[in-house]
Amino acid sequence: MSLLTQLLHNRKALVGVTILVIVILVAVFAPMLTEYSPTQRVGRPHQPPSADHWLGTTRLGYDVFTRLLYGARVSLAVGFGAGLLITVIGTVLGIIAGYKGGVVDEIITFLTNMILVIPNLPLLLVLAAFIGQASPLVIAIILGFTSWAWGVRVTRSETLSVRQRDFVKSAQMLGEPSWRIMAFEIFPNLISIVGINFIGSVIFAVITEATLEFLGLGDPNTVSWGIMLYNAQNASALSVGAWWEILTPCVALAVLGLGLALINFAIDEIANPRLRTGGMLARWTGLVRRGEGQL
Amino acid sequence: MAFLLRRLAFYLAAFIAAATINFFLPRLMPGDPIKMMFASAGSELSLDNLNALKLTFGFIDAPIGEQYLAYLKSVFTGDLGRSIKYFPLPVSDLLGRALIWTVGLVGAATLVSFALGTFLGVMAAWRRGTRFDTVVSLASIFSSSVPAVVVSLITLFVFGYTLGWFPNGYAADPMLDPSWNWGYISSVLYHGTLPMLTMVVVLTGGFAVTMRNNMINLLGEDYIVMGRAKGLSDKGVMLWYAARNALLPTVSALAIALGAVLGGSLVTEVVFNYPGMGNTLYQAILARDYPVIQGALLIMTAAMLIANFIVDLSYVLLDPRLKRA
Repeated sequence: MSLLTQLLHNRKALVGVTILVIVILVAVFAPMLTEYSPTQRVGRPHQPPSADHWLGTTRLGYDVFTRLLYGARVSLAVGFGAGLLITVIGTVLGIIAGYKGGVVDEIITFLTNMILVIPNLPLLLVLAAFIGQASPLVIAIILGFTSWAWGVRVTRSETLSVRQRDFVKSAQMLGEPSWRIMAFEIFPNLISIVGINFIGSVIFAVITEATLEFLGLGDPNTVSWGIMLYNAQNASALSVGAWWEILTPCVALAVLGLGLALINFAIDEIANPRLRTGGMLARWTGLVRRGEGQL
Repeated sequence: MAFLLRRLAFYLAAFIAAATINFFLPRLMPGDPIKMMFASAGSELSLDNLNALKLTFGFIDAPIGEQYLAYLKSVFTGDLGRSIKYFPLPVSDLLGRALIWTVGLVGAATLVSFALGTFLGVMAAWRRGTRFDTVVSLASIFSSSVPAVVVSLITLFVFGYTLGWFPNGYAADPMLDPSWNWGYISSVLYHGTLPMLTMVVVLTGGFAVTMRNNMINLLGEDYIVMGRAKGLSDKGVMLWYAARNALLPTVSALAIALGAVLGGSLVTEVVFNYPGMGNTLYQAILARDYPVIQGALLIMTAAMLIANFIVDLSYVLLDPRLKRA
């Protein structure tokens, strides 16, 4: 509860949440915001932006604005789906490794370190190529199962310190089963770490999905921002001067990424008050410095 | 010393694991490379010819276990087979050429962005709450959340196509022969500017945020207050008391970030048509060039391991406690 109110009082969070809400609304109400279909020829190829086609048309005569709206659905779905999967796996393994210790910890840590040293994107590229024309769902699943290592590392080290606290000790004394301690004593204390991990994973998933599709490893019939980039690149949009075709998905991805990153940064600030450097602190620092005669 | 030995053992295990993944993944890929190769020629090959070709490419007809052992052996002897697309070029030659470009690009970009990011992070933390801090923080958040594809494409669009200041592809002027003269080197630098700029934009933010947050956490420590109480100069406390300690977690973040660096470099190389490892891997996947795919993944992993080891070494230098451990 207090986390929510704090989030709303943080200016970074406010901007981030606003961006996210707008993208979600656009994705949900896409059919009402445009009269065109994203998969039908509605104009002549490579028309610059005009009153009829706000963001111009692609080489195949699709309406760029329409594809932008519908594409938000895929980006959000893959982002949040894969992000959730990454976070769940990372958190569960991290807490188990940190709490259980011993051989279990050794095995999980070894696997984690192993995955961290194998370059992620090249591996994903090979995996996606092996599957061939991966649909967004498949991309989300591959991302989920290959990218949890960072989450495990962070969650584990935090669990190690929470485990030492008195309330965990007393729960152990009371004879609570270890799954209960992990789920109800430790997990609630990791919520900010889990939140940061989740949003970070969503950013990662959105970016990586777009990247894989841009590289031509996605299903070319999907309507998504990554496929828009891929089609634009294939149509040599840059060299024929159809900047609207390539810049539109670029800006969309950048804005969504920025919104999510702002939320992440705000959670970090709330969990760790020292990072908060709003106007109050600046004034206070100014006073101190003036007192020291350094300003 | 024990610390480094333990790390070395881990890296060896990780390398073998990567080699194992490498061995099995391409074998699960759809399509037979030999058939694909000659599908375009439109002629059917006799079985004898096909088998002879398979042998040349190292696809021996043996149980999978035997194939695996043979593969591991060849990996450790540095024999990565021959490329299918550029037959009969050995994979190690092909990748060796690509590796030089990537190491140059990635190395330079990582060093510049690490130095720049760390410096900005230290300054932002030291002047936290000021306008400088706000600008650096926001710019860092932006830089670390925007996809490398987007930055690459926009950079290419603005500086390559619209303004025409820089070339749109290749690592050097194709008309020039590689040599150590000024003409060639300046051409390489000129062609490398945009990819490098792109990567620095993508990477700097992450380093700056990490450094700033570590540093701010440390500024409340007693020894910082002590430093100030002793009357040390602002700069002295900032650099020798705070920044030095804040650097430790940043360096270990660097080790993890290296994977992302290679990923970012892959995208940038593809967009700028830069002849590095990433682009080579990408082309190999499009052509289903198994030996090159295997070799590229393996060499990229090896590069990651070596970079991680260098980070470990620097960690020992930065944190004297590890020397005794």
